[in-house]
Amino acid sequence: MKHESVPIYWRNIPHYYRLVAKRCKKCGAVYFPPVIKCRCGSKELEDFELPHEGKLVEFTVLYQVGTDFLKQKPLVIGLVELSNGVKVVGQIVDVQPEKLTQGAKVEAVFRRVMVDGKYGLVMYGYKFRPVDGV
Amino acid sequence: MRDVYIVGGALYPAGRHYGKNIDDMAAEVLDKALAEAKTDIEAVFIASSTAELANKQQILGAYVLESLGLDKIPVFRIEDGDGSGGAAIALAHHVLKSEEYNCVAVVGVDKPNDVLSNQQQDIYATTLDTYFERYFGITPLAYAALMAKVYLRKYEYRYEELAQWAVLMHKHGANNPYAYLRRQIKIEDAINSELVSEPLRLYDIGPLADGAAAAVLCNNKKDGPRILSASVSTNAIPFNLRQDYDTLYSAQEAAKKALEKAKVTPRDIATAEVHDSFSIFGILALESLGFVKRGGALAAIREGDLPINLSGGLKSRGNILGATGVYQLVEVAWQLIGREFKRVDGDYGLVHNMGGVDRVSTVVVVGV
Repeated sequence: MKHESVPIYWRNIPHYYRLVAKRCKKCGAVYFPPVIKCRCGSKELEDFELPHEGKLVEFTVLYQVGTDFLKQKPLVIGLVELSNGVKVVGQIVDVQPEKLTQGAKVEAVFRRVMVDGKYGLVMYGYKFRPVDGV
Repeated sequence: MRDVYIVGGALYPAGRHYGKNIDDMAAEVLDKALAEAKTDIEAVFIASSTAELANKQQILGAYVLESLGLDKIPVFRIEDGDGSGGAAIALAHHVLKSEEYNCVAVVGVDKPNDVLSNQQQDIYATTLDTYFERYFGITPLAYAALMAKVYLRKYEYRYEELAQWAVLMHKHGANNPYAYLRRQIKIEDAINSELVSEPLRLYDIGPLADGAAAAVLCNNKKDGPRILSASVSTNAIPFNLRQDYDTLYSAQEAAKKALEKAKVTPRDIATAEVHDSFSIFGILALESLGFVKRGGALAAIREGDLPINLSGGLKSRGNILGATGVYQLVEVAWQLIGREFKRVDGDYGLVHNMGGVDRVSTVVVVGV
């Protein structure tokens, strides 16, 4: 979706690069995407980096994609449960989709998400890949 | 508090209307609905999901009124993605209940075919969290596919059974003069259609269509079907942190409140329009709204022709994004009085309109 905004990208870098979530200091609840108030009522939230390992709960191979992802088509989109129980949805990469299975061990990797063709802005973020490869 | 009646309604045939501007389409249906209602209106609630993104138009309501030469009427734009129409109806209903106004119009309009289909995907994906979902290439379709996988696995259905939804919708839509895809299909057509996000295929998607719908609602004229209740509920849990993937939480909560307020049960409902932007959402809506038990929707479809989405639903009538809820309201009203649809055997109808992937739902109960 040309053109993505630089400020939007810039301010979300901690979350995009290092899976930084928010954790409630009072009850320990973890929020990803980050929120400003915990459901327990507390506003005392701290940055909390999510574990980078987990397992694949479910996935789909997406053939109909938006304009930024046409060259990467098809995308494998997976629901990942990280080792602390927090779930994240993201792209699953370095896989042959037909060999991918539910329950596969995955790890977060740092990857290019898209390039804005008009201004050449390269945007990065987390994706997941199977630890044992497929 | 006075009751709210649907005293006029009009629909634009869903389709590709390259020769029309978005405000002109909205004005045409509003004019028709006003002619039928034979009343002045004191406010307009206009629902549109993508007017700025697809048609580059803001303050849409004012331009719709300009087209009709109507002056000095307040206009309110309501945007809740593809749930905009339902939200506008609920708001109009609440305002009429408060008696701030006596007669208002609700207009729903969207015109996605002013942009190319890839751009439509981009725009539709803005109903997700733009920073944490759309950014990574996730789309509503991908989420629908994940939910379909979970559902089929959990309740041990085959994909072929899910494909029955499309067959049923096309059967109903063939009888709707305002539907986009007015033809019956065979199960093979659905099963053999292009894979778009496995397990979902092309026939599991409600095609985006241009369209407009209008309803004139009054609290001082006892003409036409009555809106018994309208409730909106939001699901504030992000997709990744949900407890389960086979419940539409927003629909469940909105239905609970709306049915309670209307003092009817799901069994009293003779006809319902549910938000099947993807086939799996239609299935999950039937269960979350309380029409069938958990995991029972596909079995219920196998066993009988349910009076659900007699318009053809988003699958066959078309997904007119922010206008969808207004289409559904007019369709249910007309089904209850036998206008342009076969009259249903019963006095109550229900509308379920949803924005995004279970982000916000409106449930409206209509009675005659």
